Amino acid sequence: MENKINYFYIILAIILLLFVVGILSLSFGSINLSPIRVLKILFFDQEVRQSLNVIIKQIRLPRVLLSFLVGAGLSIAGVVFQGVIRNPMVDPYIVGISAGAGTGVTIAIVLNLQISFLFFSTIPLMAFFGSLITVYIVYNLAKTKDKVPVVTFLLAGVAVGFVLNAIMSFFMVIGTRDLSKIVYWLLGSLSTASWHDIKLMLPYFIVGNFIIIFFLKDLNLILLGERDAQHLGVDVEKSKRFLIIGASLVTASVVSVSGSIGFIGLIVPHIARMLVGPDHKKLFPTAAILGGIFLIISDDLARILLAPMEIPVGIITALTGGPYFIYLLRKTKKEIW
Amino acid sequence: MLKLENIDFSYAKQKILHEINFHLKNHEFIGIIGPNGSGKSTLLKNVSKLLDPDKGSIYLDRNLLNDYSYKELAKKMAVVPQDTKVNFNFTVYDLVMMGRNPYQDRWGRISQKDKEKVKEAMELTDTAKFKEKSIKNLSGGERQRVIIARAIVQEPELLLLDEPTASLDINYQRNIFDLISDLNEELEMAVLAVSHDLNLISQYCERLILLNKGKIHSIGEVEEVITKENISDVYNTQVDIKYNPITERPYVIIIPRQKNNQKIKEHDFKVHLICGGGTGKDIMNILNDLNIGVSTGVLNRGDSDWEEAKRLNYEVVEIPPFAPIDEYAMQENKEKMKDADLIIISDTPFGWGNLDNIKVLANFEDKDILFMMNNDIEKRDFTEGKFTELYKKIKENNNVNEIHSHKKLCNFINTKYEGIFYG
Repeated sequence: MENKINYFYIILAIILLLFVVGILSLSFGSINLSPIRVLKILFFDQEVRQSLNVIIKQIRLPRVLLSFLVGAGLSIAGVVFQGVIRNPMVDPYIVGISAGAGTGVTIAIVLNLQISFLFFSTIPLMAFFGSLITVYIVYNLAKTKDKVPVVTFLLAGVAVGFVLNAIMSFFMVIGTRDLSKIVYWLLGSLSTASWHDIKLMLPYFIVGNFIIIFFLKDLNLILLGERDAQHLGVDVEKSKRFLIIGASLVTASVVSVSGSIGFIGLIVPHIARMLVGPDHKKLFPTAAILGGIFLIISDDLARILLAPMEIPVGIITALTGGPYFIYLLRKTKKEIW
Repeated sequence: MLKLENIDFSYAKQKILHEINFHLKNHEFIGIIGPNGSGKSTLLKNVSKLLDPDKGSIYLDRNLLNDYSYKELAKKMAVVPQDTKVNFNFTVYDLVMMGRNPYQDRWGRISQKDKEKVKEAMELTDTAKFKEKSIKNLSGGERQRVIIARAIVQEPELLLLDEPTASLDINYQRNIFDLISDLNEELEMAVLAVSHDLNLISQYCERLILLNKGKIHSIGEVEEVITKENISDVYNTQVDIKYNPITERPYVIIIPRQKNNQKIKEHDFKVHLICGGGTGKDIMNILNDLNIGVSTGVLNRGDSDWEEAKRLNYEVVEIPPFAPIDEYAMQENKEKMKDADLIIISDTPFGWGNLDNIKVLANFEDKDILFMMNNDIEKRDFTEGKFTELYKKIKENNNVNEIHSHKKLCNFINTKYEGIFYG
């Protein structure tokens, strides 16, 4: 019972935090506004100056929203991959899944495969296939009998990542006219965020999350070991397949608009786990919101630190996440979960 | 409840299970024993649908095992695995609740019934007291009880256990098996338990299956399976069977190799063994432990001593089953005796059929001869005194010794032939 109350307060607290961070992020920038004024613009349309209206609603709001979605998505993917592979050192970036999605996007840009059908466009779709193929390869490379050891998984991820980077470079050289576009995208940046980006990624993001939520309960049981899970009535192979597809969809949707932003999917699930424990029904929303907050703040720093110049946000997350990753590696496996 | 028909299973072309047939009745408790690598765990994995047999069918309540969905199966059958390390911070309560998974919908909503079942199971297994504790912080025995509680809330009709007490102290071993026994008797769950601990499982189960090299060596009541022959045969070791005075169940005691376990220095020290009817098995094993070369004969093919000698790759002078010793075999046997440094005569009885083995002995004056004398000589004599007469004659001519138990054999060889051993 105590746990439930705790969980309720934790969720309430981080939602409040999200709101505060969101409003503050909308307030700061080249023109600083008071948070109250921002609220007025957002909710009461009480702004006479059209330019401010545009800045908040057309420039800053999509950027903050997209930061949230990207951060949440990467964290969710991290939670799922860590659960399925039963390995807390996994994150879409480290094991090359982001690189897989990136390769898909690069190919799409160079071969000019940008088509849109209904709400679904090809760039996230290519990213999805790229990430799915990468997961498949990395997972099977790392698998020994019925276990997926941490070390082999990381090594397989790094190795596949190298190959994918080579492929990306190759396509970049071929398609020189799109070079700047790709490089920009590769650095992992949210500076071009627009409502269009949100429209582009949202359908995949939603579908992916639906799949994950549908199989979320199984993830707790899989954590006990695949045999135990099966004995408790889980069709493990099926659940794993769908969870990986769902997480790949989410990763792909995110990567196709933001480029590869690293380490969020590693750090945030870990922090969330410390807060609410390993139960995925609690972990999933907690990690999602925390991930969103984390990226909104990172993006604020990216905008503010060297203003008016912008640092690609991937650099900020890597600078915080890298050391954290090393710290996790140093700890014994047991204590991480 | 559970029926296996002609189950074959192989891992990468290596046959692990071969023609397994048995029937577990409702509410029955069957134990599976067998040496390492005999296929015990593999058999259990076939039953729990973790592995698919290559051939044959498994029926659970008259339906094919393969026709059950994982969810339906989890309602009928629960598995308590060997290694239950859980490295995650789930509370004991959450973990037991996971046993209700097959009864819950996609979203895992917990019903009142789920709560009641979990409460009952935790009381039954005496785990309610650490319900809020993290599973990580429990001892091995406590953790295993929690896992059993999780199995109970599945409300299974069949409980599978794979070495449930493998790494536990004896107090926990008893505790866990008492609990399983209660589940079997009071909740009427059928139980199929794998254990390498013959003695533990024999005190609890109704029937036993002894596996050897992937085949059922013997199946039946505990007394029928735990016999000196079966166990020595399957485990290749010397054992004795005693009865537990309280449960009146058999238990196996190990006979340690005699203290002097030096290996022999030179291989040209040889023993010829005259035996038959199983009286030579123990001697062969003792000599084998000492690494001494042995020839034996004359033996009828199919005799249990003949089988043991073949197993140990000894030279055997053999004749067809039930046939008397012929001239040719006798001659060959004589050659072997000539080569030997010591001739041992086991405790075997002598009749007209095998008396020729002894007759030859008279030819070797000054040969070292050792008679095993666990029984009176008269009781072994089925030749109207002829054997006793021969025995006395041999004793006059040769260097004859007698010992009265197998235990002393080792000491005898050690003291008498000191020089042949290392150190």
